[in-house]
Amino acid sequence: MTSSFPEEVLEHVLSFLTSQTDRNAVSLVCKTWYETDRWCRNRIFVGNCYAVNPRILIRRFPDVKSIELKGKPHFADFNLVPEGWGGYVYPWVVELARAYPSLEEIRLKRMVVTDESLEMVAKSFNNFKVLVLSSCEGFSTDGLAAIAANCRNLRVLDLRECEVEDLSGHWLSHFPDSFTSLESLNMACLVSEVSFSALERLVARSPNLKTLKLNRTVPLEKLSTLLKRAPQLVDFGTGAYSAEFRPDVYSSLAGVFSACKNLKSLSGFWDVTPAYLPVINNVCSQLTSLNLSYATTQSPDLTKIVSQCCNLQRLVVLDYIEDTGLNTVSLSCKDLRELVVFPSDPFIGDVDVQLTEHGLVAVSEGCSKLHSILYFCRQMSNSALIQISKNCPNLTCFRLCIIEPRAPDYQTLEPLDTGFGSIVQNCQHLTRLSMSGLLTDRVFEYIGTYAKNLDMLSIAFAGDSDLGLHYVLSGCDRLRKLEIRDCPFGDKALLANASKLERMRSLWMSSCLVSFGACKLLGRKMPGLNVEVIDERENVNSIPEYAPVEKVYIYRTVSGQRFDAPDFVRIMGKDKDAVYNLS
Amino acid sequence: MDVTLGLLDQLPSSDGGGGVPSGGSTTMRSILTGSKSKEDNNKNTMVVSTEVTSSYPAVVDDESLDGLELGLGLSIGGGGLKSKTAVTGGWSQYARILTAKDFPTTLVSEPNNSCSSSSSVNIPNSSASGTKRTATDSVSPPNGTSVVGWPPVSKAHRMPNLANQMKSPTENFISKSEQNKSKNRTVGIKDYSDERNGTANKKYRSVKVNMDGTLIGRKVDLNAHTSYEMLAQTLHEMFFSKWPSKEAVKPSRLLDGTSEFVLTYEDKDGDWMLVGDVPWEMFISSVKRLRIMKNSESNELASRCEENSERYRD
Repeated sequence: MTSSFPEEVLEHVLSFLTSQTDRNAVSLVCKTWYETDRWCRNRIFVGNCYAVNPRILIRRFPDVKSIELKGKPHFADFNLVPEGWGGYVYPWVVELARAYPSLEEIRLKRMVVTDESLEMVAKSFNNFKVLVLSSCEGFSTDGLAAIAANCRNLRVLDLRECEVEDLSGHWLSHFPDSFTSLESLNMACLVSEVSFSALERLVARSPNLKTLKLNRTVPLEKLSTLLKRAPQLVDFGTGAYSAEFRPDVYSSLAGVFSACKNLKSLSGFWDVTPAYLPVINNVCSQLTSLNLSYATTQSPDLTKIVSQCCNLQRLVVLDYIEDTGLNTVSLSCKDLRELVVFPSDPFIGDVDVQLTEHGLVAVSEGCSKLHSILYFCRQMSNSALIQISKNCPNLTCFRLCIIEPRAPDYQTLEPLDTGFGSIVQNCQHLTRLSMSGLLTDRVFEYIGTYAKNLDMLSIAFAGDSDLGLHYVLSGCDRLRKLEIRDCPFGDKALLANASKLERMRSLWMSSCLVSFGACKLLGRKMPGLNVEVIDERENVNSIPEYAPVEKVYIYRTVSGQRFDAPDFVRIMGKDKDAVYNLS
Repeated sequence: MDVTLGLLDQLPSSDGGGGVPSGGSTTMRSILTGSKSKEDNNKNTMVVSTEVTSSYPAVVDDESLDGLELGLGLSIGGGGLKSKTAVTGGWSQYARILTAKDFPTTLVSEPNNSCSSSSSVNIPNSSASGTKRTATDSVSPPNGTSVVGWPPVSKAHRMPNLANQMKSPTENFISKSEQNKSKNRTVGIKDYSDERNGTANKKYRSVKVNMDGTLIGRKVDLNAHTSYEMLAQTLHEMFFSKWPSKEAVKPSRLLDGTSEFVLTYEDKDGDWMLVGDVPWEMFISSVKRLRIMKNSESNELASRCEENSERYRD
């Protein structure tokens, strides 16, 4: 039957499938479909760079134009993964350069990227177009200079929250005068001042420029000059948004903003001078995305702005907006899909800012399309969570961080089990959940019972016993990423659900009660898993097997153990006799 | 859906016998019945059991399991709500306070002054964290305990107030090129949260101010001030505005040690210092909280500190 269905037709049909999940499913149907998919799949996503290796990738997919790689586990964002753990992109770049000279796009997240890697990228791929580095580190502005100088067809250079060794701003001047293909430039995480005239000329000769995110050093007074050159911008990030108020600067800026008819997204606003905020009034109604997470100004200023953003879909803001500001959001931003509220003073227990659970409840009431929430606050109640769950049954992502660990319902002093239980029960589409506050094993029973679509779960300072972990591992059928810190979960639940770990991407447990012995056993018995014990204690060799490890990171892999691990990372159980890795 | 028991039956047990009957979730439940009684403890906000499993969980029978108590192991990673006494613990360190009288003006700008806050700037934090190889970024909730990586805010969003303090590299009050020469590494906002680089980092823009004799403390936003004079003015308004105008409490006199009160601060190392010794920028980078002390007390402490400082001045 398959012979009557020419491969060309199948290939054509498959070309409409772009999602990785769909492609993966399709490749499992039969050998012919597997073969067809591998010959024509040219966008590759690798969620864990150690789950596979370049050789396996190249063997399966002969023609790759775009690759996305992720390295360190998510908790690396919070300094829980020690420096030197791994996630090096260089070995990948070497192989990719050899196998795919026509590679066009590289997207990396939480990887260590060196200048050598960037130079190799710059020189190996003639038609290189897109470089996106999220939360990466290890490179300097020299590497950026290499990219700028050599990638003649570059369209996207996007540095998101990277740690860059910033030697100077001179890298920008390496874009040749003949270079006109730029569509997106995000340099917000860089510190050094770039030559403004070089920047202005670059913007002027880039007619397709849609995204421009400046760094802090570009002063407010110069924004008009830039925006005049690029009225077609869709996504704009200002530099430092502060200056002495001058009416001429103000009106000039207001004028150029008004001319940006395609502007949909704004960010930046470091060090904001409130008097200059109203220049964006005329574009507020166009905005679908607004990021004020660096705007350290008070609620009235923030509220005035958001009240005019009637088409806003995504709002990122500091808790300075307070409950009153969020109330305004609930009344004005009826199209809101995503809300992120960051803490202005995360390390202080009690602040003057009036942001409580009421703000979140208000937004959940007023914004029926809300599906993604990341909220930092200092008090929460079960009743508020229940209300939110009823107001937003379509939630896909709910991340709540109550600043104080193990904080109970502030009204009843009970655990927040019923509140989160209500979330997972009412929000059947929930794929991502982060919890905080006082939580017992009961909340995990709710999660295991109801959160059938949960893909990623983050737990901290919660639970009473292994039963909690067991509920999650045995109940959440779709769970792929689980990260746990400071919970009393130990060996029993882990070993009892060992086979589940092979159906997940990864499990992170730090400051829990998982023992060395259990890790060794798991590593030995499960060849499809790498069980990495990350333990920096100096006397770790003399720690008994029943004692808990500091951190363990378990992930499935077809690549076997890795050999680039530092000495405080031990791949457990791979060698029958030795516990420690061989490198 | 059945729970494969997985590897639970392969745990080594001391007597070598007694596997766990294979089965589904019911077995797991019975295994862990011992911990169910803990649910009664949940009514209390703090479940503080310090007993950590001392022997490998040899899963044999229910009887032996009742003895297993999986505690919260709060010593691992640090707790959040515990030890409120740490607050008062910090106060006892004011013995090392100094007054301006102890230091000739020439020493004020010297970065190696052992009693000034800048000396602590250069100490890489790894030395303070014991056997840990790398210093991990730590959070200090108000009760004084440190919880690594909590709250879970990525570096880019950790210090929005601080981010706004950043000027161009040449103007940075902490000279990055000096700090990082050895590491040859200059990073952006992350420098200020990254203790590994040894730069002054955790800066509380909003600090608590307590005055001797006043029960309720206040908060002052350092971000909103650009000089000691401004700060003294604000504090004067906060604490002395209700007093009948007394010469003793003119704002400037808070700074020069001639009034009844002396303004002191605790720096990031926990040392209590006199406000006004170091350049403003350096002060902001290391101040954790302020205290307005009665002058009589500070004199006594100053002499004690002079003894201490003699030791350092070799």
